[in-house]
Amino acid sequence: MSTETLFRRIADYASRADPYPLYAELREHGAVRQDDGSYLVGTYDEIAALLHDPRISSDRRRRTVPDALGPGQDDVPPAFIGLDDPEHDRLRRLAMRPFGPPHSPGRVDALRGEITRIAGELADGFADGKRIDVVDDFAYPLPVTVICRLLGVPSEDEPRFRTWSDSIVAGFDATPDEDPEQRLRSATEARRAMALYLGELAESRRGHPTGDMLSALVNDEGPEGSLNPIELMTTSVLLLIAGHETTVNLITNGVLTLLRHPDALARLRDDPALMPQAVEELLRYEPPVQMLPQRTPLADIEVSGVTIPQGAPLILVLASGNRDPLRFAEPDRFDITRPDNQHLGFGSGIHSCFGAPLARLETQIALTTLLPRLGDLRLVEDPPPYRTNQVLRGPRHLLVEAAG
Amino acid sequence: MQIVVDLNRCQGYAQCAFLAPQVFALHGEEALAYSPAVPDDQLDRVRKAATACPVQAILVGEQAGADAG
Repeated sequence: MSTETLFRRIADYASRADPYPLYAELREHGAVRQDDGSYLVGTYDEIAALLHDPRISSDRRRRTVPDALGPGQDDVPPAFIGLDDPEHDRLRRLAMRPFGPPHSPGRVDALRGEITRIAGELADGFADGKRIDVVDDFAYPLPVTVICRLLGVPSEDEPRFRTWSDSIVAGFDATPDEDPEQRLRSATEARRAMALYLGELAESRRGHPTGDMLSALVNDEGPEGSLNPIELMTTSVLLLIAGHETTVNLITNGVLTLLRHPDALARLRDDPALMPQAVEELLRYEPPVQMLPQRTPLADIEVSGVTIPQGAPLILVLASGNRDPLRFAEPDRFDITRPDNQHLGFGSGIHSCFGAPLARLETQIALTTLLPRLGDLRLVEDPPPYRTNQVLRGPRHLLVEAAG
Repeated sequence: MQIVVDLNRCQGYAQCAFLAPQVFALHGEEALAYSPAVPDDQLDRVRKAATACPVQAILVGEQAGADAG
């Protein structure tokens, strides 16, 4: 089949359970032009180089070729994930002040006990002898509870975020051939509603800090000042969505992958100290963010002998780079003790995942909590039903039940 | 337990400073400061930090001794 339709075939829902053969086809052809004028790159070295290349923008407003994601949402400015330096750098550093080093080095580490407690309570809630949905009963509520606690968002409002978050993420659902207008309108409305809600909540903390990140973002003034009200809204929307839509897939993919690899599961049960390495391998083998769809070259650039013109949509398929045999020995093997595992699961370069330390900690604790039970469970359906999204890919449900 | 960080490799992703904040710290926005001798109660955190390093710049234990020589 023509390589010009590769993205359409990857986006096809029928490919969701196993997109990896399509990624292998992509790697054979280097940089691949799609019939809509966008380009796909799926080889490790090229992706890594592009992620460190200052000629590659993350700002979709730099595109000159229309893309499946539709026009930019120009009424609300992008959060730092969709901006370039120096704006990106300033906003990311301000957001980092209450989250990590150098100003808040112990913040994530201090969540260890609480994450362990929440994971334990969720696991204790599994009814004996009944089917469990790993997504709804465990992998979704855990990171959502943690991000709400961390930001300082009341968990009783969580159902509202779930609805908004679903609409916003559906906006990234770049299914070609489909009229995106309605989907994009809902996404824009949901983003605005979430921004207003978080903006008001942050304002209510001005002068009345409650020890959470929203309070810190609105009250702490560093040498560079602080986020203005619009920046505060776009930043907190980004953090809340990221907390809703990514770690859930990493945890669920972890359970799925371990149940598919009983040898790895047995090894981990014998030696739970291997869990951090297992999570890194999971980030390589089944990354929750499969691709970065919003890069754009600021000049004509050459990749694998192909010239990608300035302004063309450029899609970096991280999950394909993670399976590149030129970088990883036996890339299709799930190997929890893989040496030198410099995977692209969290991206690389200046936009490398902001929440990575939290995602790691949550997933290590989540899978360690489930470890004693996993040996007695089996998958009800394999493959499980997937979410429609091909960028933030993961099972919609993962039903497991007692084996035997 | 000894550790060595290959500071030519280190790119300041600071994942270690999140995971073992008593051993690794950022000096300013990006430069890494760390204690080469690791107290016993920090071993688990340091191993996790080494595993999480996106550029695999942290060498732990005997591996550190051999490569540092």
